[in-house]
Amino acid sequence: MASSKFPLAPPEHSRPHAPMGEGCFLGETERQQPLALKEALAKIKNWFRANSLWVMAYGTGCGSIELRPLTTARFDMERFGMAMRPTPRQSNVLIISGYLSVKSLKRVIRAYEQMPSPKWVVGLGSCTINGGMYWDSYNTINRLDLYVPVDLYIAGCMPRPEALLEGFGVLMEKIKAGEANGWNHYLEQMDWYKENQKKLITDWDLPDYNW
Amino acid sequence: MDEIIQRIRDNFGVLREHRQRDDLAEVWIEPRHVLPLLTWLKEHTPFVQLTHLSAVDWLEDGEFQLTYLLTDPVGRRSLMVAVRISREEATAESVHTLWAHAVTYEQEINEMFGIHFPGSPRQGVPFILEGWDDIPPMRRDFDTVEYMNRHHPSRPGREHTDPRRYIGQVVGEKGYLHD
Repeated sequence: MASSKFPLAPPEHSRPHAPMGEGCFLGETERQQPLALKEALAKIKNWFRANSLWVMAYGTGCGSIELRPLTTARFDMERFGMAMRPTPRQSNVLIISGYLSVKSLKRVIRAYEQMPSPKWVVGLGSCTINGGMYWDSYNTINRLDLYVPVDLYIAGCMPRPEALLEGFGVLMEKIKAGEANGWNHYLEQMDWYKENQKKLITDWDLPDYNW
Repeated sequence: MDEIIQRIRDNFGVLREHRQRDDLAEVWIEPRHVLPLLTWLKEHTPFVQLTHLSAVDWLEDGEFQLTYLLTDPVGRRSLMVAVRISREEATAESVHTLWAHAVTYEQEINEMFGIHFPGSPRQGVPFILEGWDDIPPMRRDFDTVEYMNRHHPSRPGREHTDPRRYIGQVVGEKGYLHD
């Protein structure tokens, strides 16, 4: 089961999050604002963010089949202000839809780091949680949160589009409450994530951060 | 079909043959006959298309089996040409001169089974496994669970249900739903 090669839990936060999910790298102007104003502004920003989720049109496993109906008339995710975008530069939600091979993980890391903050990762299906039915495969990862920060898991094999919509509703509530802070955690614990990524990807030829 | 198989028997020698259906036959031949037979089939018979090239690891026999599936697209018939090669040498003749798309099959078999096709381009170029540092994963002596434990840590608390025992509890000791 557990191997000594990896620490199985990320280290404690080196410093507490900025209030209400605001970025940990604040500009000079934001840092000088009084706390009450900062919180009020963050609430407004989070409300806007939650209602404009741009999903990257990317699928890794069988779960991406369940994503297609969301964009069409029957389930219609555009009524929640969500839409698919073709490139990471234009999107802020990355869905890992099912099993993730090591080769794909490299591309996922590259895409995730290119996305502008704030950004959120949704792990879809059992495979991203504990490996699912591919738990003993040599080529698929068992835990997504060792390599990229996951804000929300949607369990199932595969989850139906209704479950996905329910999950996105929860994600919106988390964003509004300022609790979806994976992108902050990734910046704070960059060393830990990079260490895990480089342990698995042996032919590492990416830059340290893909701006 | 019968006529073609008779010609193969006469000219190349068939180790074993099996007639699955009217439109699907299988012949096992010796390794040295692979290239001449496939060339003859492509040039002089309707079996002009290489539909599939796959490998099987017969670990107990110390052999690999390579299976070339040829198709007659007009007559809608298939002919399977199988050959056993030594597991130690693990070298086979490349057929990329007959069908250019065989390069991709041979690249994948080279990566997954470690079978070498001399002269085929892209041998040793990663296809799916980037930075692989173990024995080829489709060989049957590769221990996938041990590899998984070393490289892909599991989340604590995962329970595993042995299917044989679980089904045994449900349908009785035989472990089969149907007799």
